Amino acid sequence: MGEQGRYLPECPEMSEVVRKLTEEYGGHVIFSRESEVYIEVPRHELKDVAKYLYSSGAFLKTCAAVDERPLNRSFALYHIFGMDSKGYDVIVKVSAPEDDAWVPSTVDVVPAADWCELEARDMVGIELKGRRLVRRLVLPEDWPEDIHPLRKEVPHDFRPPSVKAESEFRPPERGIPIGPYHPVLHEPEYFELLVEGETVVDVYYRGFHVHRGIEKLGESPRFTYQKIPFLAERICGICGFVHSTCAIMAMEKAAGIRPPERAEFIRTIVLELERIHSHLLWVGVAAHVLGYDAGFMHTWRVREPVMILSELITGSRKTYGLNLVGGVRRDIDKDKMEKIMKTLDRVEKEFKELANLLVSVPQIRRRAQGTGVLTRSEARALSVVGPVARASGLYRDVRKDYPYLAYKEASFKVPLYTEGDNLARVLVRVEEVFESISIIKQLLDKLPGGPIMHEKCSAIIPVDELIPPGKYAVAAIEAPRGEDVHFLMTGEGRPYRWRVRAPTYQNIPALRPMLRGDPLADAPLTIASIDPCFSCTDRALVIDVRTGRARTIKLWDGGVGTCRL
Amino acid sequence: MSIMKLLSIAAKAKVVTRRYPFEPPVVTEGFRGKIEVDPKLCWGCGVCTRICPPNALTLKKREDGTLVLSYFMGRCIFCGMCAEVCPRGAITVTKEFELASLTAEDLVRDVKHDVVRCRICGRVIGPTVEIREATKSVGGAEAKYYDLCPECRKLVVARGIMTKVGVRP
Repeated sequence: MGEQGRYLPECPEMSEVVRKLTEEYGGHVIFSRESEVYIEVPRHELKDVAKYLYSSGAFLKTCAAVDERPLNRSFALYHIFGMDSKGYDVIVKVSAPEDDAWVPSTVDVVPAADWCELEARDMVGIELKGRRLVRRLVLPEDWPEDIHPLRKEVPHDFRPPSVKAESEFRPPERGIPIGPYHPVLHEPEYFELLVEGETVVDVYYRGFHVHRGIEKLGESPRFTYQKIPFLAERICGICGFVHSTCAIMAMEKAAGIRPPERAEFIRTIVLELERIHSHLLWVGVAAHVLGYDAGFMHTWRVREPVMILSELITGSRKTYGLNLVGGVRRDIDKDKMEKIMKTLDRVEKEFKELANLLVSVPQIRRRAQGTGVLTRSEARALSVVGPVARASGLYRDVRKDYPYLAYKEASFKVPLYTEGDNLARVLVRVEEVFESISIIKQLLDKLPGGPIMHEKCSAIIPVDELIPPGKYAVAAIEAPRGEDVHFLMTGEGRPYRWRVRAPTYQNIPALRPMLRGDPLADAPLTIASIDPCFSCTDRALVIDVRTGRARTIKLWDGGVGTCRL
Repeated sequence: MSIMKLLSIAAKAKVVTRRYPFEPPVVTEGFRGKIEVDPKLCWGCGVCTRICPPNALTLKKREDGTLVLSYFMGRCIFCGMCAEVCPRGAITVTKEFELASLTAEDLVRDVKHDVVRCRICGRVIGPTVEIREATKSVGGAEAKYYDLCPECRKLVVARGIMTKVGVRP
C-alpha cells in the first residue's frame, strides 16, 4: 500500500498520468494506494486536466464536494476518473478558498459531470464558473438560498423554514407529464416530455423527491463505522447488499485490512444472487410495462425461490444484514450449499424456457426493437454504466475492469450488444442471469476454508480504532444496474465525508437521447429500460419540508413539490 | 405459437400462491424475526443499546428509580446484532414476524431493573444485578464498597488511609 505523498511506480500508465498531471498541470500527489492516486491540481487547470483524462480513455465516475473548512479553510471538489481499461482510479482534487468558493465547470468537456457539479453547488455551495445552465438539482425549490445541507455547520437534523419558490429552470413549452406518480415509475420522479405530434422532441427531468439524508446521517454522531453498513444497506431496496459491501470495501481500504478469503467468496456469491433476483424482477416489470402480464407473473414466480434462498443464507429476503467491516456474519455450510445448487439448477432451467418465450413474443420484439436507442458515442460521453452501457456496445463491467472480492476466481462472459435499443437491454440482462448462476456455481465449488471474519474485527470490537482519520478510499462494485461508487474520507470514529453514487444517477441523463425522436407510446418502456432506482439516486437530502399545501398547485411549482415528504 | 408455449409453462407450474394466512407462512431456518430479552439473564449493562443501528433498544432511567431496557419493534431492523454482542446471552432472535398491532404500546417490550444507589450521596450507580454480580467476581476488600459511587468511594478510601496514618481528615 502506498504512503502519503508517494505514488507506486509499478504501473507505467499510472505513472505517465501522474507525471503529466504533476509536471504539465502543476499538480501534486496527496495520497495513493494500489489502484488509486489522488492528485491536487490548481483550480484554473481543472478543465484542461479533465479534458486530457476524458480524452485518454477515462470515464467520470462522479465528483464529490467536501466542506473542508474545519481542516484547511477551503472547499474541495474531487473528480473521480476511472481508467477502466487499466483498472485504476485517478482522483483529481481542486480546492476553493472559503471566501472565494468557485470551481470551473467541466461540463463542456466532460458531459457526465453535469449532475454531480449541480449537486456540489446545491449541497456544499460551491459556485460553478463557465457553466451555461445552472439550476437546482437536488434541493427543492422552496429551500432557502444560503443553506447548504452538507456544510459542516448544518446539523444533521436541521429543518429550515420553507421559502417562496423561485429561480427554477423551466423549459419554455409545456409538455406531457409522466410522474411523480405513474405506474411505470415505482418511485416518485417527474419527467416532462415535449412532443411534436406523437414524437418526443425533448425531455425535462426533475427528481430527488425521495431524498433521505443518508450521507449526512453517516457523518453525524448518530452513526459509527460499525453501524454504517446497516445504513448503507437501506440506500436501495433491491441492491442493498451492493451498497453495504461497497461502503465496507471503502472502509476496509481505509483501515488497510483485507477480509478472509472465505468471507470474500460469500460476499461475491450473495452479490450475484442479488443480481439474479434484480434482473428477474426487471424482466418481469418490462413485460408488465408492455402489457404482457403473464410474462410478468411467471418471471416473478421463477424469482421467488431466489428470494427464499437469500433468506436462508443471510437471514432476510432483502436488507440482509450480513456484512460487517472485516468479514461476514454467517457462513455457508454443506447443507446450504446443496440447497443453493438445487435452487439455481431449477431457476436456470425455468428461466431459460421463459426467456426464450419472452423474447420470441412478436409484440414484445416489435415494441422493444429499435426503440429508445442510445448510441455508443452518447453512452461514452455520459459515462453510462451497467447493462445500459453494455447494450450500447460499451464494454464496461467493474467485475472485469477492477476485479474485486472473488471475481478473479470465476470465469464469465460479459454480454455485449451494439444495437443500443430496448431489446438489447433486455437481452443483456437475460444473459447476465445465466452468467451469474454460473459464477455462483463456480465459486461454491472453489469455496476456500478458514474463518469468515478478520482476526482484528468482530461484532463486539469497535472498528473505529482501525480506521484512522484523514484517509481516502474509493470503492466500486458492479451492481445489477451498473457501477456503484462509494467515496470515503475518514474522520474521527465516523466518515468525514461519505459520497454514494448509485448507478441510476449516471444513467438517467442518458434518457434524454434515448427518448428524443421516439413515439410517445414507447416512452414508458424506455424509461423502465434503464431499470431506474430512484431511492438510490436520491439519497442525500436532509428535508422534511411540507410544501405546496397552501398554494394553488400548478404543474411546475406545485406538482413537483407535493410528493415531497 | 407463443401462447401454446406459455400454456405449457403455466400447466407445469400449476398454482403456486399459498393460502396464507390460512396456512403457515414460508419461513426458512435462517430467518431473523423479532428479538426476545430474557429478564432473568439481562443485567441491564446496555451493550446492546450501543450496537443497535436504528436505536430500537434503549436504556432509560425512570423517575421511580428503576432502569428500563426498552425494545421498540417499530424501529427494529431485525439484524440481530444485539444478540451477537450480549455478554449474558440474554437476547434471542426468534422467527416471529407477524407483529402488526393497533396500538404502538404493543410493540414495546420493557425489562425493568432495580438500581443500587450510593449510600452516601444517593446517586444511581447502576443496575442491582450487574453491581451484585460484578462485586462477586471482584471479591475481597473491594466488595464492601459496592454501594458507593466512584466519587464517594474515593473520599471514603482517602479518609480510611488518612485515619490509618494518623492525619485528621
